Amino acid sequence: MTPRHPIGGDVLGTQPDALAAFDRLYGLLWSHGIVDHTAKELARLRNARITDCGY
Amino acid sequence: MTWLPDLADGDTGLDRVFGLRPDLYDAFRAFYALFWTDQLLDPIVLELCRLRVAQLLGCATEQQVRYAPSRDAGLTESQIAALPRWPDDTRFSEAQRAALAFAEQFVLDPHGVDDELRDAVIDHFELAGLTALCEALALFDGFCRFRTVLAVDGPTAPTLVPGPTPDGALA
Repeated sequence: MTPRHPIGGDVLGTQPDALAAFDRLYGLLWSHGIVDHTAKELARLRNARITDCGY
Repeated sequence: MTWLPDLADGDTGLDRVFGLRPDLYDAFRAFYALFWTDQLLDPIVLELCRLRVAQLLGCATEQQVRYAPSRDAGLTESQIAALPRWPDDTRFSEAQRAALAFAEQFVLDPHGVDDELRDAVIDHFELAGLTALCEALALFDGFCRFRTVLAVDGPTAPTLVPGPTPDGALA
């Protein structure tokens, strides 16, 4: 079974090409690089907390 | 002048900084260019919002970049000069006003984006246009901050550059 895209079913799905391009960029950020993933995740969550993004 | 001790090869400041991570730069350019190549939004609206975000964030170099598609569509330096005063300037259309009001609130306090701001954008650009605008604003906002924090070199006077393309340099 193909997993449901976590955000493709909402408003972002109205721009499928942009969503695909975003996925490539964001996926690369999380699958490659020299910054360890724990640090990236902590930065992501801290950014969400500072901007009060409940998602 | 960027404070980074090492730089990649490239024609522009952004090339030399972002080129340090060529895989990410390639994916970023592909994403960024899409807004122009696929015309996800009117090029003048896109340019006005990009420049307004740069003004709000005080990103001097980004404010000097002029992408050709907006110039080709009729955007003038006179209208760009009036951008900080857009609420009182009759040269801005209702559609441009809706996008600019949304863009300003997006940057200054996204929690303040209310139904009135959203509905105004949807009235002019439909839901897909609102989505494209939000994605474009996220890119503009993020990369003004990227340029500022890394002190990326850029133009110091208005500089016309081709529209972003997936494999072209970004000014």
